[in-house]
Amino acid sequence: MKRRWPFTLFRHGVLVGWTAVTLFPVYWMLNTSFKRSEEWVTWPPHWVPQRPTLENYVRVLTPGSTVFELGRQTLKVLKPLGDSLFTATASSLIALALGSALAYSWARFGTGGPSYPYSVLTIRMLPPIVIAVPFVVYYATLHLLDTYTGLILVYVATSLPYVIWMMLAFIEDVPRELESAARVMGASRLRVLSAVVLPLTASGLVVTFLFVFILNWSELLLALTLTNTQVSTIPITLNKFQSVNEGRDYGPQAAIGTIATLPVVVLGFVIQKHLVKGFSFGLLRK
Amino acid sequence: MPPARRSILAWLERESVFKWLPFVPVQALVVFLLLPTALLVYLSLVSWRITRGVWWRAPFVGVDNFVLAVHDDRFVWAVIRTFGFAAAAVGLELGLGFGLALLCRERFRGRRFYTTIFLLPMMIVPAVVGYDLSMLLIDQGPLNQVLTVLAGRSITVRWISDYNMAKAAIVGADVWQWTSLMFLIFLSGFAGLPPDPIRAARTMGASRWQIFRHVELPLLKPVLAIALVLRSMEALKIFDYPLLLTEGGPGTSTETIAVYLWRVGWDFTRVSHAAAMSLILMLVVVLYTVIAIHVLRRERGRLAGEVTR
Repeated sequence: MKRRWPFTLFRHGVLVGWTAVTLFPVYWMLNTSFKRSEEWVTWPPHWVPQRPTLENYVRVLTPGSTVFELGRQTLKVLKPLGDSLFTATASSLIALALGSALAYSWARFGTGGPSYPYSVLTIRMLPPIVIAVPFVVYYATLHLLDTYTGLILVYVATSLPYVIWMMLAFIEDVPRELESAARVMGASRLRVLSAVVLPLTASGLVVTFLFVFILNWSELLLALTLTNTQVSTIPITLNKFQSVNEGRDYGPQAAIGTIATLPVVVLGFVIQKHLVKGFSFGLLRK
Repeated sequence: MPPARRSILAWLERESVFKWLPFVPVQALVVFLLLPTALLVYLSLVSWRITRGVWWRAPFVGVDNFVLAVHDDRFVWAVIRTFGFAAAAVGLELGLGFGLALLCRERFRGRRFYTTIFLLPMMIVPAVVGYDLSMLLIDQGPLNQVLTVLAGRSITVRWISDYNMAKAAIVGADVWQWTSLMFLIFLSGFAGLPPDPIRAARTMGASRWQIFRHVELPLLKPVLAIALVLRSMEALKIFDYPLLLTEGGPGTSTETIAVYLWRVGWDFTRVSHAAAMSLILMLVVVLYTVIAIHVLRRERGRLAGEVTR
């Protein structure tokens, strides 16, 4: 295997290069979040905070509403954090339940005809800005503007296509013989679902949940359109922060970015093993 | 078991009930989404601003809004620009993602480490990415510092304020974040390749390159197709990066359709104009969707055929 070392060198060279590209922005955000204001913009930029501090985190995480400090507006993130967590979790769970039930029904009975999953995909293809304009008018009429219900309904609809397509791959992997065997032995349809299908697709459910959770957790445009003061999510807060301070309040903003990133990344690493399987979209079978 | 519960369970046990039940809430949601689409058509045919009374009493103006939209250079350019961004970004992401997956497909020391890192960007909120990059790309920022060190002379690229560099920054943000998803999809594509045809080709004395070119690549075509469709439909919605990184500027050089429509609708409060442009955009997207879905169905059907053969 001696002749393979140039290839090994090439492989590691490329991969290390991309690792650096990937980690650089992430590292810079972490780095800035621990810097005091005098270190935010310097030349040459500081790669390690000289006097590390937690004050950025403290500032954005203290309870209360937006205040002016030293001519700067500091936005508090506890409320948006809670709102984001609630809307993203609720909408992802509802979409997961509805979508996987539908995917199962389609995979086993062909309900809705052979093109049904494709027609659901059109929901996802529609750019949200297209429906944003009428949605405001529509929601204002229904009194759903600036409510949790309104935002969750939209997120359920936009995550359904992904749930259906990802779950199809996992459901098609469940051997039908197992299900028919359980049926022959007298199990009800619900029992087959809970005792055979659910355990075999558990990893799929987790991956799919995580993926749509990320989508809903980070959605900006619709949240910006459909909410105002009652409901506010993390991406909206970042956007407000950016426009109010012309993007110069680096420290607290980096702290918010880190806080918004951490839970998803931790979740992602926990289920990394299943991620690869989750993205075959029913196009690959062993 | 109480009789009420038993009768509900018996009702659920009927095949027609069991298989159609999940469709009820989903179809209800689809209808719920179709109503605003009807409203969109109405709004595009009247003249209404948020600041001007109630929408159901707005005067009817026919196709005026559409004529205005087609003659609006800023709109036409935003459409062209968005497709340009999407084409550049998706092309780069497909290439990079495929290349990286190719290098990571087999076991080697460090593979787990690399894959873990490479999957990181897709888990970060796009708004955070946009903001984070705006911090890296300032004139006195770390990226210019890295370039200066690498080049050995002072380099100051005006990433945000230069017309072309701002465009590159938007594409760069998209590529940085979504190459990870392409990598993941291709990685699962390689993992799912059937071993038999490859083994057969090897026994017949095919070289590594021949196996890749004539056996694996055709088998991966459906994966390439779905990656292309998925990514391009998301890339055409690009909104977060221009809004947080460049605010559409300098001038309107990074203004995408979503950003422009957002401004027309809310900053300029010309709701009816925005509605007309939205409808035009919707027609373009529907056309694209029909083609994309046709491609997807063909590839999926072809794959099913190969499995049964």
